[in-house]
Amino acid sequence: MIYSTPSCVYCKMAKEFFAKNNVQYDEFNVASDMKAREEMVEKSQQLGVPVIDIDGNIIIGFDQKTLEDLLGLKK
Amino acid sequence: MYDLVIIGGGPAGVAAGVYAARKKMKSLLITDSFGGQSLNSAGIENWIGTKNISGYDLARALEEHLRAQADIEVVDGDFVSRVEKKDAGFSVTTKNGKKFDAKYVLVASGSRRKRLGVPGEADFEGKGVVFCTTCDAPLFGGKTVAVVGGGNSALEGVMDLIQYASKIYLMVRSESLRGDPVTQEKIKSHPNVEILWNTEITQVRGGKFVTGVNYKNTKTGENKDLALDGVFVEIGLIPNSDFVKDLAKTDAYGEIIVDHKTQESSMPGIWAAGDVADVLYKQNNISVGDAVKAVLNIYDKIKKS
Repeated sequence: MIYSTPSCVYCKMAKEFFAKNNVQYDEFNVASDMKAREEMVEKSQQLGVPVIDIDGNIIIGFDQKTLEDLLGLKK
Repeated sequence: MYDLVIIGGGPAGVAAGVYAARKKMKSLLITDSFGGQSLNSAGIENWIGTKNISGYDLARALEEHLRAQADIEVVDGDFVSRVEKKDAGFSVTTKNGKKFDAKYVLVASGSRRKRLGVPGEADFEGKGVVFCTTCDAPLFGGKTVAVVGGGNSALEGVMDLIQYASKIYLMVRSESLRGDPVTQEKIKSHPNVEILWNTEITQVRGGKFVTGVNYKNTKTGENKDLALDGVFVEIGLIPNSDFVKDLAKTDAYGEIIVDHKTQESSMPGIWAAGDVADVLYKQNNISVGDAVKAVLNIYDKIKKS
């Protein structure tokens, strides 16, 4: 799942990356969803987007290499 | 071996890639991501040919234009960590450990955000200290924040935050703003914005998250503190030239010194264009033109050799 804000381009890039690789995800807009924001802060111990949670692995920011490794994708 | 390795995927790198491909040079472009520093911009109004384009859309358009060229290879999601001189040309190494040989290198790696360099800044990064205002401004709804800086990026940061934060301090080191007068007026007349002149942050404080900063008035020497929920750092740029510093001469700011007629650096075989070069004005449009100039000059060299 991804925690994002509508204005964040790195969130957009991450979502496009998921779409390109046929990865299903849930999205939470932490600009308006306060419960999701608290959850994001709890998980990542910080307040910055995007935060991506892949089976409990928390990635802060759009780090393509780490995502590829975690999702078992090969370029 | 490549004729040309282009380092960077901003306006300069992409312009170089398009021209190199059309000249049928065997070329490779290596970039972390496309679009350059404007990527985060909500709207660019001076990119010639478009009235208004978001940084994201510009990045997409640049990438598409580059990938539409038949004769160019692209490595993305990676960046160059080292360039070495070889007998015939250069060896380029990336962070992910890839190595490429090139006759010529064009450095178009742009620049990155400058940091305050004060205690607490690194500890609270992402915990109230923000380097991407557009991304994180919506998380500061109803909060008290400070934007640090006096240039266009600081002013745009304030504009991004006006929609959300209840109080915005603009902390400026000097006694004047450098950004566009139109934006200056909007900011100065807004009731939620207060400009603190002659201020220099000395420490970022907090617990789990930022709770405030200590700062000095540079005129009076007086030390003060300010309670804040967020600190948005927009104080300028450092050129990404570290990986060629031993080869090409750089100026006091770390910008690669080039011959402005050709864009070639002090090291024959290495060119630079865009914000990483010692150009007087840092502009997308200028970066494009300078990169084209460099590629045409490189093409002349190849034809002669």
